Amino acid sequence: MIPNTDLGGLADRLRLRAAKMIAPHGFGYLGQVLSSAELFAALYGRHYRPGQDAIVVSPGHYIIAAYAAAAEIGVLDEKLLETYGFDDSDLEAIGTERSPAVDLTGGSLSQGLSGAVGFALSDKMAGKDDVLTFALCSDGELEEGQLWEAALFAGHNKLRNLVVLLDANDSQVDGPVSEITTIEPIAAKWESFGWDAYDVDGHDAAAVDEALGKAIASDKPAVVIGRTSTVHGLKALPEGADGHFIKLPRELADAAIAELEARVA
Amino acid sequence: MLKPPYKTVLKPYGQALVDLARDRTEIVCITGDLTRQCEIDLFQETFPDRFIHAGMAEANMVSMAGALARRGHIPFVHTFGVFATRRPLDQIVNSVAYPNLPVRLVGFMPGVSSPGGPSHQAIEDVALMRALPNMTVIDVADATEIRKALPSIVDIPGPVYLRLKRGEIPVIFEEDHQFSLKKAQRLTEGEDVAIIANGMMLSSALSAAEILKGEGLGVTVVNVPVIKPLDTETVLGAVRGTKAVVTAENHTIIGGLGSAVAETMAEAGLGRPLRRIGLQDTFAEGSRTAPHLFRKYGLSTQDILTAAWSALGRSGPAPEAPAVETSEGEYAPV
Repeated sequence: MIPNTDLGGLADRLRLRAAKMIAPHGFGYLGQVLSSAELFAALYGRHYRPGQDAIVVSPGHYIIAAYAAAAEIGVLDEKLLETYGFDDSDLEAIGTERSPAVDLTGGSLSQGLSGAVGFALSDKMAGKDDVLTFALCSDGELEEGQLWEAALFAGHNKLRNLVVLLDANDSQVDGPVSEITTIEPIAAKWESFGWDAYDVDGHDAAAVDEALGKAIASDKPAVVIGRTSTVHGLKALPEGADGHFIKLPRELADAAIAELEARVA
Repeated sequence: MLKPPYKTVLKPYGQALVDLARDRTEIVCITGDLTRQCEIDLFQETFPDRFIHAGMAEANMVSMAGALARRGHIPFVHTFGVFATRRPLDQIVNSVAYPNLPVRLVGFMPGVSSPGGPSHQAIEDVALMRALPNMTVIDVADATEIRKALPSIVDIPGPVYLRLKRGEIPVIFEEDHQFSLKKAQRLTEGEDVAIIANGMMLSSALSAAEILKGEGLGVTVVNVPVIKPLDTETVLGAVRGTKAVVTAENHTIIGGLGSAVAETMAEAGLGRPLRRIGLQDTFAEGSRTAPHLFRKYGLSTQDILTAAWSALGRSGPAPEAPAVETSEGEYAPV
């Protein structure tokens, strides 16, 4: 936790770290960081207490954002970030058991929320009232049945120590989520499952921060739905870039890094 | 070993789990809405604080169990075998097997012991679980073996799939029976045919051996409760010492015990006529009672006899398996 941090600046530093991690490969999960940067900034900058709370990154593709954030708050050696995505690196592009700096990540979508529920249930059974479990989930995962099984369980068992940060970036492999499956109204769905839900502009770090505070204080499991875009905060990207898996050839990578370095300077 | 008809007992697993959990406070008991059916009502009464209702949500149940194991619990997860393996396969892979967590998946009603139709018959659970790295796969034969197996599996560092008959459980082994995770057991000795069996087919294998012995044949019966990791040394020893091999499992012949034995023989370069008793690549329909399915789909004592006869190249019809009369509360192999 970094007190009094400019969360917007922190979000841009996450974008910059991710661009540098992806640049050597020419493509990768940059869009996931562009969309979730303010969510991770608010979580890591203000609320998550390493060593005390549990952190779960349900969609393993987002692990890059957790690495960047962990390096930013000093719980992951930033030299390791340079190995991201290379052969035999512990930092595989999609989360694995070896992924450092998180309590759980996964590649098969929606299993992370069940894992987070398991952590929260264990803490509740042990009477550890001062431990929180944070789970980053994505809107595409709402298409998986298991996610709703987990949501039902958490609602029924009143796991107030569980907070979900939902990156609603309207992006999945085949295109916008909204064109493939209607998942709205998202907040009402969670509320009907016994959760508190806070629907905010996910690129407004202060709004995310405030919603996270309410979610933690809630006496139910709670979700902060951040409305985001996979191409936010990087003007260098060409029109129509595929935010799910961004192509970043050398020249574009240089331009992206220069743009972000100028902004965080 | 006792003789058929075997007396039966109720809920040996449920009692054994409670006995084990008394000292092992890490154990948590999870149910997928089949509490009484999986014999864990006793656990619920005895240790309500460690009893978790997951509801009918197997995917969440399995992934959640993985996270509980990460926190130091030893979750025993209960449902029917079909719902323990088929339905949450991806969750078992990613939330349990790959991270190598000590989750115990306990699947009741194996193979065609359920007359509940193909939706309720776990006919390929062993094959699915056997294919997963880190997974230990166990199919026990009787109440004694269940009771002895539980303390042995609790400290396995990785996941376990335990397959259990539901309802009245026969007592085949006497109290001094030893269960080992490493060693299969040679129960009878003979030089003509090896019958390698486990679970609900073990009693049929023993009956078949008795009948073949009456025909002057020597039969080695091997009980293989632990299908993975397989005790290849004992299996190969039995194969080497006989002229033909019959495997018997309450499961499809693809991917289970029969396949494991065949792979072991082939890799050792041991050529013997091999017959695999089990479901012959089919689903099992049309029954009110399980014994009918055992007969209809070739999983009876008679089928083992016929297979042994054929594998040994004997001419004429195989000996006939006499029907074993049972009274209320007794069990005899089909």
